[in-house]
Amino acid sequence: MRRRRLLSVLVVASAPLLGATARAQQDAGGFVRGLAQRAIDEVNAPGNTDEQRLGRFRTLFREGFDVPLIARFVLGRYWRVASEAQRDEYLRLFDELVVQTYARRFGEFPGARINVLTVSRPNEDGDQIVGVEGQLPGKAPVRMDVRVRPVDGALKIIDIAIEGVSMAITQRDEFAAVIQRGGGEVEALLVNLRQKVGAVR
Amino acid sequence: MTLPSVRAALGALGLAFLAACTTAEPSDPAQYDPIEGFNRYVFEVNRFGDEFFLKPVAVIYRGTTPEIARESVHNALGNLRLPWTFINDALQGNLNRAGDAAIRFGVNSTVGFLGFFDPAKDMGYVQHDEDFGQTLGVWGLGDAPYLVLPLVGPSNLRDGGGLVVDQFLDPVNLVARGGINLDGNWFTFTRGGLSAVDQRERALEAISELERGSVDFYASARSAYRQRRVRDILNTAPDDQIPGLFR
Repeated sequence: MRRRRLLSVLVVASAPLLGATARAQQDAGGFVRGLAQRAIDEVNAPGNTDEQRLGRFRTLFREGFDVPLIARFVLGRYWRVASEAQRDEYLRLFDELVVQTYARRFGEFPGARINVLTVSRPNEDGDQIVGVEGQLPGKAPVRMDVRVRPVDGALKIIDIAIEGVSMAITQRDEFAAVIQRGGGEVEALLVNLRQKVGAVR
Repeated sequence: MTLPSVRAALGALGLAFLAACTTAEPSDPAQYDPIEGFNRYVFEVNRFGDEFFLKPVAVIYRGTTPEIARESVHNALGNLRLPWTFINDALQGNLNRAGDAAIRFGVNSTVGFLGFFDPAKDMGYVQHDEDFGQTLGVWGLGDAPYLVLPLVGPSNLRDGGGLVVDQFLDPVNLVARGGINLDGNWFTFTRGGLSAVDQRERALEAISELERGSVDFYASARSAYRQRRVRDILNTAPDDQIPGLFR
């Protein structure tokens, strides 16, 4: 009898938690869908100059992605050995590179649609994977897995994986290769990034 | 070049290769690439061939063929891979997946008109692909050393060997060739060529994006290939387990 009461107390006590988890799950799916739709709509609104489009995308991007977190992850163990000045420049260059790379992509695909297929339960970091399908007219749909994490109360995208290939991990491996080929110097990466960001512009 | 000198050169190359393989792995397994110099060279040669041949063909293919037709070709090619997938599923001990592959092949080859249509998908049997490289991976063979193969692209010693076995033992190829050999045959050539164009067309955006955003495209491609193979071997969907990131 006492055990049953204890059990019912536990169930009642955990209900708000379960509800919050369920709400968080809904939010992750809705968050990604909303962000994608805004990107497609706002960025492709007629009458936008390239400058305006880039500016809008930049704002949206910083809102939806935790760029500094991704940047630090991508630099990996070299973050610790980088100087203050190097870190600052790296963050600036990384931000610019990612915005330019993705802005160009969105700009090329008017009429794109994003369907949210699955939302996973949060893991111990609070991460959830939102499975989406990007549909472009006339092309095969692309399956993407968007990793979302609550940061300071707001949901942020921290990684996107396509066919099991994580963008963050790929970029981390790539930057590590550049630094190692440059003799272990973070400067080697910065040289490449400066060139790349200047060129992409 | 005389035959003994060719043999000597191959022997030296083989020894160098072995020597590279026996050096201890660095602390970062993602960077382990003992013949990186050679790999980068082959990578560039492949890129050249892709830029001036395969990619243009894929672009023209996309431009001249309606999406429905391309989907049908893709379906048929996927269907032809199912018998070999079935065998590899069985070799890996995945009897459920083997069964799925068998059902897919049976349904799509008949009701789906030689695989051009995909009614099995609507029945809940989604396409999956297994090759001998994945089977070797499941059996415990590691993916080092990284290898860029001419024409084929990113691979490794295990998967490259697996590709050879695939070519020899794929049941569809066996039937077409009439036995275990590597004789030229219009069917296998057509199949191979169509597969290459089909896959290149579907990967047009992904590859150009990877290249455009990369400061070191070779390293990005190497990383992407490794991740993909790990996923293929483990057969995990991302929802199954979310490993911690950014610990």
